[in-house]
Amino acid sequence: MGIEHKRIDLSINLGKASLKNPLMTASGTCGYVDELDDFLDINQLGGYITKSITIKPRLGNDVPRIVETDSGMLNAIGLANIGVEKFIKEKVPLMERYKTPFFVNIAGQIIDDYVAVADKLSQCIQIAGMELNISCPNVKQGGITFGTDPALVKQITCEVKKVIRDKMLIVKLTPNVTNISTIAKVAVDCGADALSLVNTFTAMVIDIETRKPVLSNRTGGLSGPAIKPIAIYLVNKVYNEVAKPAGIPLIGGGGVRTASDAIEFIIAGATAVTIGTATFANPDGAVKIIEGMKGYCTRHKFSSITSLTGALK
Amino acid sequence: MESHLPKKGIFTASVLQNRKLGDKFYRITIELENKAKNVFSAAVPGQFVEIDVSRLALPPENHVPAQYADASQRNVILRRPFSFADIMVSDTSVVAEILYCVLGPATLRMKTLKTGDIVSLIGPLGNGFSIAEKKKTSILIAGGMGAPPLVHLSGLMKSQCKDMEIVVFVGAKSVSDLAFFDLKVDKLIKTKVSLGEFDKHKIKTHISTDDGSAGSKGFVTDVLKDWLLKNKPDAKETIMYACGPEAMLLASAALSSEFKIPCQVSLERRMACGTGLCQSCAVKCLNKDDGSTFYKLCCKDGPIFWSDEVVWE
Repeated sequence: MGIEHKRIDLSINLGKASLKNPLMTASGTCGYVDELDDFLDINQLGGYITKSITIKPRLGNDVPRIVETDSGMLNAIGLANIGVEKFIKEKVPLMERYKTPFFVNIAGQIIDDYVAVADKLSQCIQIAGMELNISCPNVKQGGITFGTDPALVKQITCEVKKVIRDKMLIVKLTPNVTNISTIAKVAVDCGADALSLVNTFTAMVIDIETRKPVLSNRTGGLSGPAIKPIAIYLVNKVYNEVAKPAGIPLIGGGGVRTASDAIEFIIAGATAVTIGTATFANPDGAVKIIEGMKGYCTRHKFSSITSLTGALK
Repeated sequence: MESHLPKKGIFTASVLQNRKLGDKFYRITIELENKAKNVFSAAVPGQFVEIDVSRLALPPENHVPAQYADASQRNVILRRPFSFADIMVSDTSVVAEILYCVLGPATLRMKTLKTGDIVSLIGPLGNGFSIAEKKKTSILIAGGMGAPPLVHLSGLMKSQCKDMEIVVFVGAKSVSDLAFFDLKVDKLIKTKVSLGEFDKHKIKTHISTDDGSAGSKGFVTDVLKDWLLKNKPDAKETIMYACGPEAMLLASAALSSEFKIPCQVSLERRMACGTGLCQSCAVKCLNKDDGSTFYKLCCKDGPIFWSDEVVWE
């Protein structure tokens, strides 16, 4: 055997943060802080990425907000959340119960919103870092998605970086672009400590009886096993073209359900991996994945999971 | 109301029986084991479970009804919510009873479950009905597939509130849409219909169908209105419970405000998780203080709501 199962080192360094293993929850699939408590020990997770937080509370979209597709689902929740003030008052203190590092996903409609939220959160000692959700429409510029325009990505990353103090900055990339590496490079040049990819793919489901889109928002973001091979490709592309040369870690995700899925992302170039949509069906799934990753390392004689990152032949 | 609810979790249960009832319905009974026994024995009528059907096989092609030939080719990744028709607690076992119709790729798979099969379920979820122990009269309004949780509720009321008068109104499109296990229809005298579940508790039932194929012809809420006008129950001593299609709930809410009788309604929404993580099952509610609207979650804050807090659309 060579290496004992229990001696496998799953710990990773994600920029400034040390994680006990590579598995993180994906934003929008695990609540604010403690919602998974009934199903798993949050302390066993490598990291926790909260749902999107905005400057003001948001009610979210009308229903239907989701629809299942073949091996996936579309969502258009509309960033429903309690707003940063209430989040800091009611949710952030709950983080003290856990040893797992918390990363807060932040969203906005104008750049000032992002900056204001980041500034407030940077004062919370309980938070390890922030993840910028740049897949939101920019209301000042006709609704163009921030994350599709290199100039906007530059501006938003630089502005947030200025107020974030010692917190780690993760930029979450949208896959709905012509060349994801262009955007990735801009974010890294502006000081992103890590990149996470991918956010959901813009998609539509039509009810053929009514000839209307199923979602009230008409379109939504596709997630789940259906997107995994595309996400693997994009992680590998960004790893080769941007992350590896710059020495910046990637958080890979998109359709992760099993330990093999997570390992596949790591081989493609990810340092950490997120579980998202799969949590809806199996809220205890993350813990099983962590155990499964150990099994893979034992079988393939990797004493440390970090040596597997980008090990694609 | 929530403090007495059992703590939810992810459990397995074994199938005791899965049988067809009439033309459209199936009844599945599942036995809870180990920790789940305690948890589910405390479940409240109106609460529900999320069942994982993603791993189940489809029926053979020649057993798939023509109208589901397309749907049968879709994969299922999300769990499906089901309310309880009963939870039978004895010294030795806890058995939950669920009634379902075949409506798509998930329930098509569900009907292949056999005695001894193991299913994964998350629950008990949601808030459940709150029994008004001190009221003199409880009026239950069931439409189509909305009947099962009200059967559960009536059984509990009968055992807990000995002096309470329980009046049940059951409606459906047609006689074959009446969701009951033990339907006695006298074919010669179609108005002479009785429902065994209520008969055994000696509960008076008023049955109606849209097409008049059983009971009186018309909507269940019209029959209820006639009954309210004729019997004039004391509004302060009366409460209504409704579960069924949204149009029926809306009509029940209208009767509630017309006759000043409080009414609890069980709502249904598309859900990805059932546990408050995905935020998809939004229910628009009214803030009575300032008239503004906000969203509650059907899975966590509901599925039972007071009819006057819901914004009916």
